[in-house]
Amino acid sequence: MTAETPPRLSGIEEVVMKRKIGPMLAIGALTCAAPLLAGQKLGEVQPLRTPEKIYATTCGYCHGRNVGPIILGRVLPADTVKYIVRHGQNGMPAFRPTEIKPSELDALATWIEKSTARSGEHGQ
Amino acid sequence: MDRRGLLGAGILGAASLGLGTGASAKNPAPLAPGLTKADFAGAMKAFRGVVGTEWVFGDEEAVAPYAKVYVPDPANRHVPVGAVCPETVEQVQEIVRIANTYRQPLWPVSTGKNMGYGMAAPATPGQVVLDMKRMNRILEVDTDLGTCLLEPGVTYQQLRDYLTENNIPLWIDVPTVGPLASPVGNTLDRGVGYTPYGEHFMFQCGMEVVLADGQVMRTGMGSIKGSTAWQAFKWGYGPYLDGLFTQSNFGVVTKMGLWLMPKPPVYKPFMVRHAEMGDVSRIIEAMRPLRVSNLVANCNLMMGAAYQLAMFKRRNEIVPDGALLDEVSLKKAAKANGLGMWNTYFALYGTEQTVAAVEPIIRASLTASGGEVLTSAEMGDNPWFHHHATLMEGGLNLDEIGLLRWRGAGGGLAWFAPVAAARGIEAERQTVLAREILEKYGFDYTAAYAIGWRDLHHIIALLFDKSDAEQEKKADACYRELVTRFGAQGWASYRTGVNSMDLVAQQYGEVNRGFNAKIKHAIDPNGILAPGKSGII
Repeated sequence: MTAETPPRLSGIEEVVMKRKIGPMLAIGALTCAAPLLAGQKLGEVQPLRTPEKIYATTCGYCHGRNVGPIILGRVLPADTVKYIVRHGQNGMPAFRPTEIKPSELDALATWIEKSTARSGEHGQ
Repeated sequence: MDRRGLLGAGILGAASLGLGTGASAKNPAPLAPGLTKADFAGAMKAFRGVVGTEWVFGDEEAVAPYAKVYVPDPANRHVPVGAVCPETVEQVQEIVRIANTYRQPLWPVSTGKNMGYGMAAPATPGQVVLDMKRMNRILEVDTDLGTCLLEPGVTYQQLRDYLTENNIPLWIDVPTVGPLASPVGNTLDRGVGYTPYGEHFMFQCGMEVVLADGQVMRTGMGSIKGSTAWQAFKWGYGPYLDGLFTQSNFGVVTKMGLWLMPKPPVYKPFMVRHAEMGDVSRIIEAMRPLRVSNLVANCNLMMGAAYQLAMFKRRNEIVPDGALLDEVSLKKAAKANGLGMWNTYFALYGTEQTVAAVEPIIRASLTASGGEVLTSAEMGDNPWFHHHATLMEGGLNLDEIGLLRWRGAGGGLAWFAPVAAARGIEAERQTVLAREILEKYGFDYTAAYAIGWRDLHHIIALLFDKSDAEQEKKADACYRELVTRFGAQGWASYRTGVNSMDLVAQQYGEVNRGFNAKIKHAIDPNGILAPGKSGII
């Protein structure tokens, strides 16, 4: 903690708090993101990505492919997903807001919570 | 507890224990030496004026993603005090000027995903991470010359997607965690990949660098107005400068040119399976002439059975917890999974005619070494063969993150990577020494050799359970003994993590360290760029 530190919630309080507001943010993020979902253009920063794209190019390399536990179709609470993404879990790295934007994470976490299982996925 | 249980237990554990950063309200992350709270607060306020409030992080919760590391850090030294995230080179210049004003050190990262080398965490306490992931523009791709110009925040995944979406028949060359890692960052750390373009720094061409005084410098042909050869000609004129900015803290690289390999008409991956640990020398003696002559053009990975199994298995599937990972059990598990005690992967690239001409020569040599030479015809969908076949064509996967589950759930990994000449006898001696040290501390020889053009990188994954404080301390001590005892034999690391940068620099001697220090004092007198990187003050 430094001179910068504002009062903060405990980890548990924060999860509860985010659970209340997460879905609203996610819906807003999806709406805003819709016009920006094309591929990356030369000379431009990466546009916002859909949850499907982020899952395919980040999460899905481990989860359901021998390395990490299956996370689709398990009704994992969106707030739990967000917490784990930002802090890492065991062998999973943490992902910073510069890697998965806050609005992307809101949409991704909701998408994972509502997802159905994929038959091709497997964990060892 | 099963894996589902662990998923739930992990989040509650993390929440109750703090965030694993080592910092807390009672035990704040220390500021840089000589810095006051007012200095730090002033710098952070000024950073916000440059990049906006939402891209400066200074409290414990917001800094948590920057503090997660796999490397042993029993004293919690590698915890940043904040992060600032620019989107343009002009913002980087301004941040550097502010850092000079307040004497606030910055730790630049590209994507901060070098995994077993320290992720985004700094080498010394009190640093603010200069997180350049938002600078992720692909600036140029020249399909004729096979070159590109990238910003540091571009990932291999982004570059691969861009090439695919635009039907550009150029390959990328990836490290083992390609989807998340940065071509610029990996090249600056002199990382390697597994196609013929695998020695990444050799295929780098031109940089843009923000110097510690805020000036922007371009290397090679980049400083010539109107030059079209910035990404085509490496050397420019006068002293070659690009090397100064790799594994160093002499500037902040904001653009980098890279060469990309044209997709070959034929790509054929192979695995050579050897049955005994004692085959190590014969394999290298057989492979060296193939590499030196470039008949085998890609960097080979010669993977030990334990390293291979650790990717997709857990240790207690092979031996009970607490038991030695004995050779009989290891061999049995390897065989059950289609593996040998050493599994060497290489590939041929070319046309039907060139591959057909070269393959019999290589087969004859490797078969004579006692190996079984195997292809997809024999290995089918074997996950280990699939993993390496993917890497050797610049494909993306994160299979190696599976290593973190080998021993417990805590996720501990530190790469130890000493270099030797590509001679069998050297590898044999290194393997004996490594096993002795690792077993002394109760760790496994989960290791591979990367066979370069004329060198060996002995890649040892020190795997431990980071949730076990005693094991983390042992891992730290073990790593230090590996560095010093290998160093005493003339084998020093080609690269190392934030946990051991100073120790590895010591192996290279005081004259070299002193020279680096003189450069550092001359070009960064306030020491604001990444103090401690590669052991440079």
